[in-house]
Amino acid sequence: MKSKILYLFAALMLFFITSCSDNLLNVPNPNALTDENFWKTPDDAEKGLVAVYNMLYRQGTWTRNNFTQLDGMADDAISYAGWTELAEWSRFIMTDYNFNEVNQKIWYQHYQGVFRANQVIKNVDQIVFKDAEQKKKVVAQAKFMRAFFHFYLYIYYGNIPYITEPSTVEAKPMQLTEDQVLTLCAQDFKDAANDLPETWQTNQLGRATKGAALAYLGKVYMQQHKWQDAKDALIWLVEGAGANNYQLVSNYRDNVTAYNEFNSEYVMEINFSEILKTGFDVDYDANSNLGTQFGMNNAPKGLGWNNVELSRWLVDYYLREKTTDGKNDVRLYYNCWYNNSKLDFPDMPEALIYGTTWESQSTAQAWGNRVFPRLYTEDLSKPSDLFYWDDINYRLIRYADVKLCYAEVLNELAGTPPPLAVQLVNDVRARVNLPALGSSTYTEYNSAISSKEAFREHLKIERGLELPFQGIRWMDLKRWGFDATNLAALKLRDPDFNNFIPGKSERMPIPQTDVDNNPNLKQNPNY
Amino acid sequence: MIENLKNGIKRITAIRYLKLSLLLFGLLLNTGALFAQNKTITGVVKDESGAAIPGVSVLVKGTSTGVATNVQGEFQLKVPGPETILTFSFIGTVSQDIRVGNKNSIDITLHLDVNKLEEVVVIGYGTVKKKDLTGAVSIVNTKDIQTRASQSVGSVLKGMASGVTVTTTGQPGAGSVVRIRGIGSLSNNEPLYVVDGLSLVGANNINPQDIESIQVLKDASAAAIYGARAANGVIIITTKKGKEGPLKVDFSANVSYNWLPKYNLMNADEYKKWDDVAYTNAIVSGVPGVTKLQNHYTNNTNWQDEIVKNTTIQNYNIALSGGTKTLNAYVSGNVMIDPGTVYGTDYKKYTFRVNTSGEKGIFSYGQNLYFTNEITNGMWGNPFSNMIAMPPTIPVYDETHPGGFGYGSPDRANTYAQNPIGGQNLQTNKNKGFFINGNIFGQVKLFDALSYKMNLLYVGYTGSTDYLRKIGNWTMGQGADKPYLSRSTRIQQKYDFENTLNFKKVIGKHDIDAMVGMIYEDDNIVDQSGTKLDPAITSNGEYLTSMNVASGLASAGTNFLEGVLISYISRLNYVYDNRYLLSATFRADGSSRLSPANRWAYFPSVALGWRISQEKFYNVKWMNELKLRASYGQLGNANIGYWDYLNFINTSPRAVFGNPAALALGSTVSKLSNTDLRWERKTQVDIGVDAAFLNNRLTFTADYFDSKTTDILTGMPLLLSTGSASGNYGPNTAIVANAASLENKGIELNLGWSDKIGEISYSAKLNYSKLTNKLTKLGFGRTEQYSNLAISKVGEPLAMFYLLKTDGLFQSDAEVQSYTNSKGQVIQPTAKPGDIRFVDTDDNGQINNNDRQVLGNPWPKFETGIQLSVAWRNFDILINGHGRFGFDIWNGSAQTAGFFANNNNNFKDFNPWSPTNTNTRTPHALYGDSRNSIGNMDYWLENGSFFRFDEIGFGYTLPANICNKIHFRNCRAGLTLQNIVTFSGYSGLDPDFADSGVFDKAQDGASYPNPRAILFNLTFGF
Repeated sequence: MKSKILYLFAALMLFFITSCSDNLLNVPNPNALTDENFWKTPDDAEKGLVAVYNMLYRQGTWTRNNFTQLDGMADDAISYAGWTELAEWSRFIMTDYNFNEVNQKIWYQHYQGVFRANQVIKNVDQIVFKDAEQKKKVVAQAKFMRAFFHFYLYIYYGNIPYITEPSTVEAKPMQLTEDQVLTLCAQDFKDAANDLPETWQTNQLGRATKGAALAYLGKVYMQQHKWQDAKDALIWLVEGAGANNYQLVSNYRDNVTAYNEFNSEYVMEINFSEILKTGFDVDYDANSNLGTQFGMNNAPKGLGWNNVELSRWLVDYYLREKTTDGKNDVRLYYNCWYNNSKLDFPDMPEALIYGTTWESQSTAQAWGNRVFPRLYTEDLSKPSDLFYWDDINYRLIRYADVKLCYAEVLNELAGTPPPLAVQLVNDVRARVNLPALGSSTYTEYNSAISSKEAFREHLKIERGLELPFQGIRWMDLKRWGFDATNLAALKLRDPDFNNFIPGKSERMPIPQTDVDNNPNLKQNPNY
Repeated sequence: MIENLKNGIKRITAIRYLKLSLLLFGLLLNTGALFAQNKTITGVVKDESGAAIPGVSVLVKGTSTGVATNVQGEFQLKVPGPETILTFSFIGTVSQDIRVGNKNSIDITLHLDVNKLEEVVVIGYGTVKKKDLTGAVSIVNTKDIQTRASQSVGSVLKGMASGVTVTTTGQPGAGSVVRIRGIGSLSNNEPLYVVDGLSLVGANNINPQDIESIQVLKDASAAAIYGARAANGVIIITTKKGKEGPLKVDFSANVSYNWLPKYNLMNADEYKKWDDVAYTNAIVSGVPGVTKLQNHYTNNTNWQDEIVKNTTIQNYNIALSGGTKTLNAYVSGNVMIDPGTVYGTDYKKYTFRVNTSGEKGIFSYGQNLYFTNEITNGMWGNPFSNMIAMPPTIPVYDETHPGGFGYGSPDRANTYAQNPIGGQNLQTNKNKGFFINGNIFGQVKLFDALSYKMNLLYVGYTGSTDYLRKIGNWTMGQGADKPYLSRSTRIQQKYDFENTLNFKKVIGKHDIDAMVGMIYEDDNIVDQSGTKLDPAITSNGEYLTSMNVASGLASAGTNFLEGVLISYISRLNYVYDNRYLLSATFRADGSSRLSPANRWAYFPSVALGWRISQEKFYNVKWMNELKLRASYGQLGNANIGYWDYLNFINTSPRAVFGNPAALALGSTVSKLSNTDLRWERKTQVDIGVDAAFLNNRLTFTADYFDSKTTDILTGMPLLLSTGSASGNYGPNTAIVANAASLENKGIELNLGWSDKIGEISYSAKLNYSKLTNKLTKLGFGRTEQYSNLAISKVGEPLAMFYLLKTDGLFQSDAEVQSYTNSKGQVIQPTAKPGDIRFVDTDDNGQINNNDRQVLGNPWPKFETGIQLSVAWRNFDILINGHGRFGFDIWNGSAQTAGFFANNNNNFKDFNPWSPTNTNTRTPHALYGDSRNSIGNMDYWLENGSFFRFDEIGFGYTLPANICNKIHFRNCRAGLTLQNIVTFSGYSGLDPDFADSGVFDKAQDGASYPNPRAILFNLTFGF
């Protein structure tokens, strides 16, 4: 009997010992920091900022889909992608608003950048910086990136929420009008320009600069046709102190290859690198690739995915004008890979991409008179592998673009094209040995300086030839509008515009899941 | 007795060294030599009604010599002499000892052990007599399991119990999906498996031959004692124990010949013909970029024949059992070899089990331990979709491609379809898993009524996956991927520590069984992974699979996971006068996976029963038993990620700055979390009737249940505009939230009949379940949740097909022009004759997402299972079938084929529209235009109703006298046809497949079909 009582006692003891249980339920996670022990030091703030820049390296941003879709919609590119739905989106046939590859990824990954920027801006307040300048620079860069991601969202979707607080699980952000969005973009770019450095040390290249902020600010105002504001923003770069920082490079090639990156012409450039060779561009892999997929995405049918290619009119337009020494425009040679390159540029090395000549494959691959991008391919003349990733920097804004923008702004502000505007255009032309406007071999260009309207029309072509397939054209087309005249011209150059419905196709449909699930968000008109 | 056990242990050791057949042969001789037999006894064993009882054990007392009665209840046995005592025993009856004396024949009648309903049911931390059950419990017994010759626990359950839906895949080593009473949760619907007290998620590594019984606890009160883990029901598996007595050896061998159903795909000539038509149509309708026909490759590849192979699966099992009161043992070993029905895949499984138990004085004790070793060569991609997508003109091998496999070419076969043979060869994926699961317990009886039990349980898994990516491509336009090696390992351990105190006493008419207990459970996982580029390659192209000799960049990672669950449990079972039954359970659970403020929750339940047939006034002769049951209970679920309630810093983001580029490290919160996660709670009401009629020949059980799950924990997508990322791929913003509420109501019926006519005994069991499901609330204030093809809307069932409605084909341009909305706008202005006409639901003059409608129901109107058995003399026939009726399936394989829009192959009965063939529902073949083959239209919906005879088995049991002559206790040979007879109008390979998630139901994305098989089975024992 005694022993039985002992057992009972032992059993009950076990019971009570094990019941001191609340502590046992506190299991720490050894795999990650929590947000409670982050955002404490200036180093945390800098890391938060790097995470914002990280969003440039994503399929939904500049690794792939921004150029696929921005170029694809514009008239300088066309898609015969084997992925039919992808091709249809570049043709303004947008059926499934939740189309992940293009629509959801772009929307979501831009907002991912916004979320990360907002975390920096919000949390920096509680961090003590020894160096007040450092704090200013961190906030200025975060504001730049916040405006930057919103600005491209505006380019795609127009009426979007502009988010300035870190997201919460319940968030249902308000939709704004396009003007409201651009006003907020302008404010952030302005704030950023005030505190950003003019230049960074060599080992920090790729970060936003004052010039980049002002260039984007100018573009924001230009989209709103606020020409005077645009001039005030851009003047620093072209006529002010900033002008000393920038100069067109002598060889056009240096803008479209891995050679001479961050050259004197760069205003904003994405620093692509193959420093990490494993992993995809994902959220939770420290080895995620930091390269661009431009090569694979756009390589000719049979070599790569061939998701987008250049429109044929570019070749024809380049060829209608000769340089001062009677040759063809070298921009054609560097930007386009097409059937006659060998004949058109007899004194240049034969154009290769990925180690192959046009002749060797064009028949088998049925390329015909299609035009594939040579820009941003690894090496323009030597054999090289085509891989998923490449390290060629993407030039978001270069000085030639700024000069042409400034010329456009001055023209809009004046009755007739002012001399500076003409000079700026001629600067860009002179770099590739094209004669000044007025003495072109293509006589139609010579009337370009005769009137404000003619100059504007000429800029539409000049910009197309200087900046083809570089993620800029769609923004320009939106600025110039899609009235009947413009649309007729676009249809001639790009049959995709036959599907363009004014009042609808200027904006892409907002991903349906967000429209369904956010009562403060309406689908764009006519979708 | 000890001698026997020692022998047994010796024999266990022998398994390691001898091939099974050799061992068996040896044992055979050994046992045969024990006795000099000099007298033959024959006889018949019958039950009280005079019906023969097959399978009765007839043993020479104190020895291992014995036989089992045949289907006629007959036996024949050689005995040493007149002093021999024979022991007749059979489950559910009172054993009898008969002295042989001078008799040459012994006919006896075995008496039921009180009544069949005395059968004991395991209910978790205890047992209850079946007659005293107050909850909804389905029981699958040993006999059903043995004769089914199933390869997995899931397939044992298929069609056997009402309210239990089992879907399987033919993929070697892949588990079955078991759902009890439908889908109750949105995140996790796996029932809890409790194997000899050991709780597991999934029980694929259990050897079905080791199973003694399976009990499915369906309602909340029955499952209540498992509270926090039991919201999806509980499947209690009890494995075999050694029985007191001499050593028994049982051997079974299954060899099955397996083949898969096949598509009727076009050959190269047919393909080329239709592909040319599709191109011609594309040129005529001006599809951009299409100017000429394809310059087809000249091969004729039958991709299906390349991928699918017929295989022979072998499954061998040996079990030794026996022992004394103080120690009995059951030891078994099992080998299963499945060479895989898909190219490059195979699966091997080895299990070994030792169960012992015993009692001595006030102590009882026991142990269960099993090892399972699985080796899987995994499948790459979905070969069932690729075999349709690949044009037959493409060769399997092509020397000119890197890696040497054929694939598309822009001019010759313009397709991004993936060569499945190439994919399987260029990426090898070998998985090894080693499970050690076991428990040890001790129990002490204190005073008369009180007992204390301590149970220590351990679940261990060590697994590794070795992956090799070789150089080479399997599809057009693929980049030059670097070759690499990767290895990931997982070590998972779970410790359970259970203390229970039980009080059991009958005081007069009061039968009290009360229990309190405390459980501590810790599970932890260590994941480790490493990758290294550029494996070494020998001069003849072989890859060395060790990372030591790989030369490229290496990376490694670890992840540590741990969770703790602490529970206090209590239960009272009370029976008054065998008539009134009460069962009450109360449980408190604390989980480390929830926010500190919400960690603890309390789950009560109560059940009542009334055995009307025990009342004095009850006087219905033809109805032997009638019981009413009613229960109410609550269960919880916190089966989410380990730390989902915390916001974590993601330290992975990187950027580069500078020229030359240098890496910069970033950190941020990239995923938002719900910081106030709380328990998911399921409240269920169940009302049931149990009845038996006509001398227990007819049995009937009916249950109605109504369950409501609130605060369902599930991944709920945030707005994309939050920029919160929960995973690596795609805009997936789902985070865990208490995000929804669901309601399930249903009826379950079971009907059984067994009888004997002359020499034929037969039985039939039928079960029927009907379930309705309704989403009652969604998180974040939403009313709808969309997935690709389905909508889940508050007030409606989950996952209804939400698609564009088609309305036949346009026959002419005039029809296109006259197809307008109410304002006269032409709805599909760019359509051509032969295109599909879509319904403009919102009447806005165009076809877009707003035109989707609820057009199909993935939920069966009812499900049914049937088991028939007939026995005549030594022959028996067993038929098992199950079916689901009245639901729709989205046929993804037909959609993959499309209509040559992507140059995918198609089926031989392809009958597209053309100006001269207008009487068809299939649109015209048109390359380069996806509008006729989009996924989200009702064109792909089909009636999914089916009924399948999973098994039609024939058996022959060797007559006792012959058995005896060759020294066997029993011997049976069987032939089973598996999945051979299916009634269904579905045009895909198999209407019985597993779903990919709760928001996507009955969507057949070219699923792995269930194999057809002929199975030969041989069992014998001695």
